[in-house]
Amino acid sequence: MIYIIDHKDSFTHNVVHQFENFDNIQCDNFNKININKLKKAKVIVFSPGPGSPKDYSISSRIYKEFKGKKKIIGICLGFQLILHCEKGKIIQQNKIYHGYQSKVKVTSNNSLFKKNQKFTVGRYHSLKLQEPFVSKNFEITMRCDISNTAMAIENNKEKIYGFQFHPESFLTENGNLLIKKILSA
Amino acid sequence: MTTQDYLKTISKSEKPFAIYKSNKGFDLYTNFSKKIILTNKNIHNFINKISKHKPRRKKTDLFIGFFGYEILNNLIGVKIKKQKGLKFYKGIFYKPEIKIELSNKLNYKPTKFYKTNKIFSINLNKNSYTNIFNKFKKKIKSGETYQIKICTKYKNKSQIDALDFFCRLTKSNMAPEAFMIKDKDYSIISCSPENLITKKNNFISTKPIAGTLKKSNKLNKSKALNFFKKNIKETKEHNMIVDMERSDLSKICRPGSVKIIKKKIVEEYKDLYHFVTLIGGKLKKKVSSLEIIKAMMPGGSVVGCPKISTLNLLNTQEKEKRNIYTGSFGYIKFNGDMRFNIIIRSILNFKNQSEVSVASGVVIDSNAKHEFNENYIKAKALIDLYK
Repeated sequence: MIYIIDHKDSFTHNVVHQFENFDNIQCDNFNKININKLKKAKVIVFSPGPGSPKDYSISSRIYKEFKGKKKIIGICLGFQLILHCEKGKIIQQNKIYHGYQSKVKVTSNNSLFKKNQKFTVGRYHSLKLQEPFVSKNFEITMRCDISNTAMAIENNKEKIYGFQFHPESFLTENGNLLIKKILSA
Repeated sequence: MTTQDYLKTISKSEKPFAIYKSNKGFDLYTNFSKKIILTNKNIHNFINKISKHKPRRKKTDLFIGFFGYEILNNLIGVKIKKQKGLKFYKGIFYKPEIKIELSNKLNYKPTKFYKTNKIFSINLNKNSYTNIFNKFKKKIKSGETYQIKICTKYKNKSQIDALDFFCRLTKSNMAPEAFMIKDKDYSIISCSPENLITKKNNFISTKPIAGTLKKSNKLNKSKALNFFKKNIKETKEHNMIVDMERSDLSKICRPGSVKIIKKKIVEEYKDLYHFVTLIGGKLKKKVSSLEIIKAMMPGGSVVGCPKISTLNLLNTQEKEKRNIYTGSFGYIKFNGDMRFNIIIRSILNFKNQSEVSVASGVVIDSNAKHEFNENYIKAKALIDLYK
């Protein structure tokens, strides 16, 4: 079972709908977490959502407790939440991407995806990761083809993955493929 | 009887009635045997009980009426602080005993004289609009909302012949979700183009509009499509709404069944072009009417995105009640099928007070002056009826 933690977003059920292709899904609001479901889950997903990671201390606590014990996936806000917990700084960007389609490129040799492969993806974010970012076992594996902004992180040792873009958006081509690969990793 | 005769008769009878656009023309519903005035308390019970009525295989096995904006907020747990403005009903539904199919040509001559006022006051002038607009832009930069819609109201004191208004409106502005209701103390007239829910058996669809372009001599439909496709701001605004509506449908639909049926097409109206997408899905087993309504309403395209945090922001900034505006009008059949629109481009006349409400969106690259003027373009077709 995959447990999706919703941050009151209007895209969360697209995430649910997408993950339902691969496994049983349970989804609850971040302030209505069911401990039993959380313990039973094989994978924890942090959903997109409004605001910034520091607004969601409950989700941060969940991340820290289950890091290394379960596979963890973060999308958009969820991606930023993982970085925030790993001492990364999340800042406002000059250009704001809401409903934007752009190309991202795989920039690492250690990624589950082939280096230099490009994906067309949908973006909804006003915040981004401030770099340089260094954290043990984590690597930035995809970047925006134009602005170079960090677009995906992978920690293949502890099975932690994050996307700044939205694999569930209709603007993302091959979104199911991205999720499938990470779920089977 | 011809359509014209029906209209004359219904007007003379002074009975309450509702008219709703159908595929071929219009449907007139009247002889109401029940009238349910909705409250935050009785709404759950009302919706749940509809499917428990014994079907008599009649075309009138349904309840028709509207949900106001406030009751829909309450239904999904969003609280609204006290606001000023007309104290209108939160929602009303009727059980009709007669349904009459009318043609597309609604001809009607008023038989009485009404004191109609041509002068309108606006509840938000350009400065206060710009003020709210700038506050919301900051909220977009900090990521609390991605898109938010500000409502403007044009108001006056008028007596109106609602049927006359509606018939003239259908001539100047035929819209696929047009409707009117007339009851003793109020009337509603709308040329809504936007369908929020069409549910038949286990199939459900929604057709959000995001993107409006004023018509001109130089513009045709394909040029309008080109404009929308090239205009990054309109495209982004539209994308957001499409993803949000996909997510709302996904709450109640079977895994993998939510699909975009028509992507980013242009629909043509008298004064403007709209940028539209049709999305559908197959309902999960045992989804109730109440769950469908809670998943889809209030319609996302007239609120902003993400829905809950944006509603909370809106409700602290808008000082005046939206009333019917951005609520939904439509019907629920005894067999669970339903059709609802989003109430926009609407007139509410309650105790001889008229309100014309419109809204336009703020995204990161919106311009306050442009959006303020877009509101006027949208209101014009309705304000013109008062001449």
